Amino acid sequence: MLTAGLGLASALLIVAQALLVAALLGALVTDGSVPGPTAVRTLGALAGVAAGRGLVAWAQERFAQRAAARTIAELRSQVVAHVVALGPRWAPGAEAPGTGGAQAATLATRGLDALEPYLVKYLPSLLLTALVTPAVLLVLGVLDWVSLVIALVTLPLVPLFMWLVGVMTQGTSQRRLVVVQRLGAQVLDLLAGLPTLRAFGREIGPGARVRALGEASKKATMGTLRMAFLSSMVLELITTLSVAVVAVGVGLRLVHGTMGLTAGLAVIMLAPEVYLPLRAVGAQFHASTDGLAAASAAFEILQTPVPAAAAAAAGGAVRALVLDDVSVHAGDRAVSAPAGLSARIPLGSGTPGGGRVVVLRGPSGAGKSTTVDLLLGLLRPDAGSVRLELADGRSVPCSARTGAAWWWAQVAWVPQRPAIAPGPLRDVVGGAGTDPGLLADAARTTGLDTVVATLPHGWDTRIGLGGVGLSVGQRQRVALTSALLAGSDRPVVVLDEPTAHLDAAGEQVVLDTVRTWRDAGRTVIVVAHRTSLLALADQVVDVAARSHADVPVLAVTA
Amino acid sequence: MTARDPLRTVLPLLEVPRWRTVRAVLLGSLALGCSVGLAAVSAWLIARASQMPPVLTLSVAVVTVRATGVGRGIFRYLERLASHDVALGGMAALRANLYDALARGPVTGVVGLRRGDLLARVGADVDDVGDVVVRSIVPAGVAVVVGFGAVGLVAAFLPSAALALLGCLLLTGVVAPWLAARAAATTEARGARARAEVTARTLGILDEGQQLRVSGRLDAELAALADADARLTDAGNEGARTAGVSAAIGAVAQTVSVIAALWLGMGALAAGTLAEVELTVVVLTPLAVFEVTSVLPAAAVQWRRSREAAARLVELLPGGVPAAPAALGPATARRVPGLSLLTLTDVAAGWPSVPVPAVVGVDLTLRPGSVVALTGPSGIGKTTLLMTAAGLLPARGGMAHADADALFLAEDGHVFDTTVLENLRVARGDVTPDDARTALDAVGLTTWLDALPDGLDTTLGGNATTVSGGERRRLLVARGLLSGARVLLVDEPAEHLDAAAADAVVAALAAHARSTGGAVVVATHRLAAARDADEVLLLGAEPAGGPAVVKARGTHADLLRDVVGYAWAEGQEAAVPPAPAR
Repeated sequence: MLTAGLGLASALLIVAQALLVAALLGALVTDGSVPGPTAVRTLGALAGVAAGRGLVAWAQERFAQRAAARTIAELRSQVVAHVVALGPRWAPGAEAPGTGGAQAATLATRGLDALEPYLVKYLPSLLLTALVTPAVLLVLGVLDWVSLVIALVTLPLVPLFMWLVGVMTQGTSQRRLVVVQRLGAQVLDLLAGLPTLRAFGREIGPGARVRALGEASKKATMGTLRMAFLSSMVLELITTLSVAVVAVGVGLRLVHGTMGLTAGLAVIMLAPEVYLPLRAVGAQFHASTDGLAAASAAFEILQTPVPAAAAAAAGGAVRALVLDDVSVHAGDRAVSAPAGLSARIPLGSGTPGGGRVVVLRGPSGAGKSTTVDLLLGLLRPDAGSVRLELADGRSVPCSARTGAAWWWAQVAWVPQRPAIAPGPLRDVVGGAGTDPGLLADAARTTGLDTVVATLPHGWDTRIGLGGVGLSVGQRQRVALTSALLAGSDRPVVVLDEPTAHLDAAGEQVVLDTVRTWRDAGRTVIVVAHRTSLLALADQVVDVAARSHADVPVLAVTA
Repeated sequence: MTARDPLRTVLPLLEVPRWRTVRAVLLGSLALGCSVGLAAVSAWLIARASQMPPVLTLSVAVVTVRATGVGRGIFRYLERLASHDVALGGMAALRANLYDALARGPVTGVVGLRRGDLLARVGADVDDVGDVVVRSIVPAGVAVVVGFGAVGLVAAFLPSAALALLGCLLLTGVVAPWLAARAAATTEARGARARAEVTARTLGILDEGQQLRVSGRLDAELAALADADARLTDAGNEGARTAGVSAAIGAVAQTVSVIAALWLGMGALAAGTLAEVELTVVVLTPLAVFEVTSVLPAAAVQWRRSREAAARLVELLPGGVPAAPAALGPATARRVPGLSLLTLTDVAAGWPSVPVPAVVGVDLTLRPGSVVALTGPSGIGKTTLLMTAAGLLPARGGMAHADADALFLAEDGHVFDTTVLENLRVARGDVTPDDARTALDAVGLTTWLDALPDGLDTTLGGNATTVSGGERRRLLVARGLLSGARVLLVDEPAEHLDAAAADAVVAALAAHARSTGGAVVVATHRLAAARDADEVLLLGAEPAGGPAVVKARGTHADLLRDVVGYAWAEGQEAAVPPAPAR
């Protein structure tokens, strides 16, 4: 609203400027001189116009961006929340077919910024076309009806060609996007693999490939630009040529004496203003396609149906987890992992001595981590069912659809690849304001204290996204400590390969921790490769994959 | 003044021929020259026409007006194509040069980068540097040519008005862009942290979203993201104030130059030094000229942004002359049995960025057929030592000398977004499908291979997450077996594998070394994997926290007998056989 008002004010000031200049100049050229007071009055009015234009331009710049920034922030937060709600297969690392985790990450971080020029420039210029163009035409008509006719004939050609621009670039701009994205992914893949390539001494060859990919992308882009620019050239041609035609027409009528000089000057100054808003729309057209592409990508994600959380579907303590003939397709492989898994996992009593340790066992690739996702209700099985048996005897399906928050509130979870939020180590592990005593205790249990001792700033060391600055084993300890602290009021602990990156002595610490949890009455569900954990197991669930040809996949067990 | 302008460092990497940029500037100047010409000539035409001369005297002007009307569109089209051609070619060249620089520079610069950071740099930053051509250099060149051209035109009629016009042009062409750039700087200074935080938090939530959901921290994290975004908006708001002043100058200057032309023209007209028709040209030309400076504030902002991006790219570039990775002539292998393949003499190993080496005083000689295990707690420096032995890191002390090509197989080696076969061909370009199958069989991946839809031609997903951790490890080991390197330095080959598969992989590596007369060093914290080794090196930090040393060495059996902790730890791993479900 403010934008429109400012735009209209700016246009009116330009009209006033044209009329004032034309009046003074016309009189000067026709009569050779103008009475002093008139000249001073006109120049004074022009100075007023200058001040007004300055003020309007300032206000436009000052306020336009703010609204756009808010809109983008709002959309970003919605997209992020929605992607998380869509489940583990949408995480940026997971490239299972049919999901767009990585694209969602690009969109939420960088892609949505394309909306800014769309909101700040394209939409206002569209609005101005509707407001300013008729106003200027009106003034033009009063001054010289012939010029008005020329403008009225040529104006519709502009949207016509813009429509052509749209039709011609719609497909190509999307193709270009695909090409550019593919190039980006390939170049990035090569760069991400550079350490590996260097180790093999094969880093030189792909350099030529990066160059070739770049050349290919340049060719593709130039091809579409040639077409896109051709359309906008026609646009520019029509508008500039129309102004020239108006000028020549005015000149010829002046020669014949059918028109006054003042009106003629005003007309040639105003003629470009008639086309200006439309040209601005044309100039921002690419911003609009990029913006619309970003917006539609965002809405596509937002419209992907999320398992809607039915409010307070169930609650209370869980007595057992029941897997009944559960299968999940493993990405693009012709394999189900797990396949036909059935098990009843009773949970511990919660009282000291009543705890349980449940080990999920199976060769790598059997679907152990997927089983964890199922038990947490993050993933829905492609066949079979996962149910929670409640203490009051009821049995409810386990999925995010039924609103699993009450179930998650009972679980502490350390996944296979714990992602670590950036920030000071103290906050990352325990959240701000954790009791230092508790922190130290937990760190001693997991061996994180020895890690902290080697860090330059101890607990205040800032670690980057994904735990930059820590080795894989250290990250595991951070995640474990974090789960220990969060787990103090969560009766169920889920550990996915907790010993994978720990040495034998460190492994012992984890074993002790698991034992402590069991002694405290908690249930520990562990994905394990090591035999050492099996010693603690009260129950072992064997997980196996099966190819779709119904041949059991015996992944190296010998 | 202080440091070299990063743009100057990076621009040569765009490999843009100078004449191409000049061509774009000339075409742009012609386009805007047509615009100014249209205004000037039509002003003359109208003023002259009002004096009612014979129509024929106007015909040249009429044709000129029409020609400029057509010319503008055509020249602008050609200019845009020319400048985009320059920019896109430059971006492609820059990406390729970045790759080359990273490929030839020290490996530490590459290893320290995260995927997201890399994405930002080879993506957005390169685009920003390329945009400097289209949005800064060409518009600035055009503004100089056309601006001075217009001033010259006005000066031909009325020098004083030309001076006024020049002043206003400098105001919009220099002061306004300077203010706009300052506004952008303010926004960035305040916004950079906010933006980084928004990106980090966004990726963080997307990455660990499921964990956050389960632990109930998701809402808090989303709120923190919203806060960071609000700070970003505030920063933009701050800069908008200065940017507003810049825009106001642009708008005011145009009208002021017209007022000056009218005022000075009136005097000259009265004094008889200026004709009426000329006055019209002097007054109306400035109206069109300001189009050339109107894009300069944006150009200045772009210049700044490009310079920032260039600075980040310079950071990425290895400093100074690209150093060839430590002397490891692949052809220096002397295949005389009994001679050493790789010798470490009192070697200290550590990352160059860390003041103290992680491991010191390591002596090791690898002979054909040697199988060595390197063990010790995680984080002790096993990986660093292997990388030093491979020549990927410079030795911090002592001497590492390789007589054969040594290959380091990283724990997190990259699985490329291509087929299984091509992934194995990373090791050696001429790997045949049969070679590939043999190697995959050796590491126990035959059943995995048979389950793949297209066998060796199956494309592995981005970052190979459709491959499980264990499969991935074995694929990387298979790649090492195919490489033909005589010394394999393997980091944690048994990770993510169950005991049996882990032992099989280590056994395959040992067998490979013994049958080909090569040597293998396996870093593992799983002691059972050391059983196949001729010699086991146990690393440990003597005063806790200090650099690690070789605490004990010998055969697996020796260490079991002599080192108390070793036997205990080994016992922990093997104690319990797989138990039946209770």
